[in-house]
Amino acid sequence: MLREFAPTSRLRSDAPTVGALLDDLEGRFPRLRSKLRDETGALRRYVNVFVDGENVTTRSPLSTSLVGEHTVDILHSIAGG
Amino acid sequence: MRVLVGTRKGTYVVESDRARKRWKVNPVSNGGREVYHVAADPRHPGTLYAAVNSGFWGPILYRSSNWGKRWEEVATPLTPVAKARPNPFESTDPSPPPRPVQNLWHIEPGHPSEPETVFIGVDPFMLFRSDDQAKSWAPVPGINEHPTKKDWNPGAGGPCLHTVIVDPRDRRRMYVGISSAGTFRTDDEGAHWRPTNAKVEAAFLPNPYPEVGQCVHHVALDPVDPDVSYRQDHGGIYVNRNSMDGDWDRVGKVRGGPKDDFGFAVASAAARPGRAYFVPLTGEPRTTPAGGLQVWEWNDKSRKWRTLMPPRRFPGDFGVHREGMGCDRLDPAGIYVGTTTGQLILSPDAGKSWQQVPFQFPGIHSVSVA
Repeated sequence: MLREFAPTSRLRSDAPTVGALLDDLEGRFPRLRSKLRDETGALRRYVNVFVDGENVTTRSPLSTSLVGEHTVDILHSIAGG
Repeated sequence: MRVLVGTRKGTYVVESDRARKRWKVNPVSNGGREVYHVAADPRHPGTLYAAVNSGFWGPILYRSSNWGKRWEEVATPLTPVAKARPNPFESTDPSPPPRPVQNLWHIEPGHPSEPETVFIGVDPFMLFRSDDQAKSWAPVPGINEHPTKKDWNPGAGGPCLHTVIVDPRDRRRMYVGISSAGTFRTDDEGAHWRPTNAKVEAAFLPNPYPEVGQCVHHVALDPVDPDVSYRQDHGGIYVNRNSMDGDWDRVGKVRGGPKDDFGFAVASAAARPGRAYFVPLTGEPRTTPAGGLQVWEWNDKSRKWRTLMPPRRFPGDFGVHREGMGCDRLDPAGIYVGTTTGQLILSPDAGKSWQQVPFQFPGIHSVSVA
C-alpha cells in the first residue's frame, strides 16, 4: 500500500537513525509526508518499523540507531474491517 | 446532474439527467477509505474535493477536475507545531502537546468573488483557509484560538468543526458549527467570531442555556433567504431568522411535528424557499423511529410540519449522518438521503414520491449535489 505514495520497494540511505531515515524518505517522496508520521512527529498507529527483523515501533522508534549496515522494513499492520 | 456520495469505503459519483429517474453509479474512488465529505466547487465546474480519512495514512485531501474521473492528492491541512519540540522531561511548559489533525470533516468553497478560496473544517476544532485551490492552507486563528475554547467539549464524533457556511451575499460573513461548542459567526472574514447559540438547549450541561457548549449537529441556510438558518442540534430542531443573531426558535416542538426532534441531517432546497428537511432519529440508538425512514418538512411561513414519506415506504432502522442529506437546485426540488447502511434514497419531486438508487453503497457519511 505504501507504494501509492513512494513508488519503490527498496532503497539505500545513509541516515543514522530511523527518524533521519523517515526524513530522508519524505524528502525523496513528498507524498509520504504526513502518511507515516503525523505533524507532531509520532508514527501513525498502524505503521510498524522493523530494524533487522525486530519491531522497534513500541520502543523509541525514531531514535533507533542505524549506524552501520542495517535492513529497515516499514510495513503497515493488518487492521480494519 | 450528479450526487456526490462519501462513504465508509470510498467516494462515489452518481449521475442522472433532469428527470432523476435513471441513475448511473460510477466506479468507486479511494476504495476502502473513509470519506467524510465530497464537495463540488460551483465556481469551477467539474472540480470536486474529497475529505478522505485513511485509517492507515491519516487525513488526505483529494481534488478532481473532471467530475471524479481522476483524483489527485492536494495539500492536507496540518496542525501548526513548533519545529523544535522541547524534551518532555526538561520542559516546564504545562500546556498539552498539539493534537494532530485527526479527520477532515467539511470542505466549503469560498465566495464567488474569491474563486481560488476554499475552507475546510477539521478535528481538532479547527478551520483552515486556502487561497490557491487547496495547494496550501493557513489556520484561521480567530476561531481556532477563540476565547471560549476552554468551554468546548468533543462530541461523540470527536472535537470536530463540521459545518462551514459562507454567506452568498457577503464574503466577509461566515458561520461555523462545532461539536460541542455550537455555532459562531464572523462579519470580518474570520478575524473575529461570536457565539450564536441563544436559546439553544444543552441539556447535558449544568447550565442548559450557556453561551457556548451546545452540540450543534448541522446547519443549513435557506438558499433564497440566507438570513434564515435551519439547525439540527443535539438539543432539537431550531430556526433563526436574523442571520443567527438573537434567539433561536425551537420549532421541533411545534405541535404536529416529529415525536422526537433529535437527529443529525438538515437540508434546504432553492425551489422550496422557507422550508427545510430533517430526518428525525431516536436519541439512544441513533436510528429512525417507528420502524422506517422518515423525512419531515418544516414550513417556516405556515409554521407547520408535514411528513414527506409514508412510515412504511422504507421499513427498517436507519441511521443518517450530519452530511447525509442534500437537495439539488432543480424545480421540482430533489431531496437526497444517504443512510449509514448504504441506501441512497431520493425524491425528484420535493417529497411527493421516493425511490432508491439501485446500488448497495458502503455506509454513507455524506450526500451532496452538483
